[in-house]
Amino acid sequence: MRAALTRGLLAAALISPLPARAEVQVPTGPAVGIVSQQEGLEAWDRIFAVVSHPRCANCHVGPSDRPMWSGDSYGRTRPHGMNIRAGESRIGAETLPCATCHLGKNSDVAHSPPAVPDDWRLAPVEAHWFGQSAPTICNQLRDPALNGDRTYAELAEHLGHDVILHWAWEPGGTREPAPGTLHSHMEDILVWGAAGMPCPQ
Amino acid sequence: MQVTFPAQALYLWERRLEGYTVKLTVNGAEHFIDVEPEMPLLWVLRDELGITGPKYGCGIAQCGACTVHIDGMAVRSCSVEVGAVEGEVTTIEGLGTPDSLHAVQAAWVEHQVAQCGYCQSGQIMAAASLLEMNSDPTDEDIDAAMSANLCRCGTYPRIRAAVKTAASRMNGA
Repeated sequence: MRAALTRGLLAAALISPLPARAEVQVPTGPAVGIVSQQEGLEAWDRIFAVVSHPRCANCHVGPSDRPMWSGDSYGRTRPHGMNIRAGESRIGAETLPCATCHLGKNSDVAHSPPAVPDDWRLAPVEAHWFGQSAPTICNQLRDPALNGDRTYAELAEHLGHDVILHWAWEPGGTREPAPGTLHSHMEDILVWGAAGMPCPQ
Repeated sequence: MQVTFPAQALYLWERRLEGYTVKLTVNGAEHFIDVEPEMPLLWVLRDELGITGPKYGCGIAQCGACTVHIDGMAVRSCSVEVGAVEGEVTTIEGLGTPDSLHAVQAAWVEHQVAQCGYCQSGQIMAAASLLEMNSDPTDEDIDAAMSANLCRCGTYPRIRAAVKTAASRMNGA
């Protein structure tokens, strides 16, 4: 199994480095204490619009290892076709790596598999967003035990350097991008954080 | 294009400088191919190298008929740009030989898996990759690994049986 996992993790190495998007600079956020709770909650609403969007949520499926197909381009919500399972590895290393199809360069062709210059994969189990409410995801994102032990500033940094996240705003073809821009999303994270990471009830 | 040495060498060198000649290792043989790097690997295999085992099915990595290995891992050759390939490519032609079939190929013959046969090279390549990763797959493992390779004839029960036979042979049974 270790060999399988290694193979899966090295899948991207089969393909030469493509021109990856450069690391995105994290904007300068407001100082703690100058952002009201109301402004923080307004920022959270915009954050929720992103994290609940199909471009993000379809692969944030929690304990399930089945990516989802949902959103306008899919017609109805259902698990990824062809009985695709990402396994415990979250990259399909146990049987069929995600990179068997999601490999190389992103495709604009309708119904073709998208790709980024990194392993295509599901989000960690703890980052369960698909079908979850705004309060649930909000509490998850401010809990270090569930957010990868990150401060809000580190959440913004994570967005800056993980190219699979960048794809949500540039999915290509007729895929609907996540709302706003990567930059505005990082700004919202910083505003929400500076306001004390308030969550809706 | 038909050119003779040293004109050929010069031509290829210039094309390489321009980024239009791709080096590709397929089934152990090295090739320098005068194609645009954006050309799908499947096109190069079939139209430039005459390796027609991998089949064109959907062209968008949805059916698996074009499956080949890059360094042992199954990939959809219709959706990989040739200029981006770093590892060694293996097609059904390089998996075994008529005199020495790969265990999966032998099991395919034994179970008479193929019906029309169009998808079968992709099926075999996917199965061989699965067994490299998991030498004793359960039914669920086989379903998970093979379900993205479509067979319109519905040979799935024989595919599963053949994968199990190949696994037991590879494990020395």
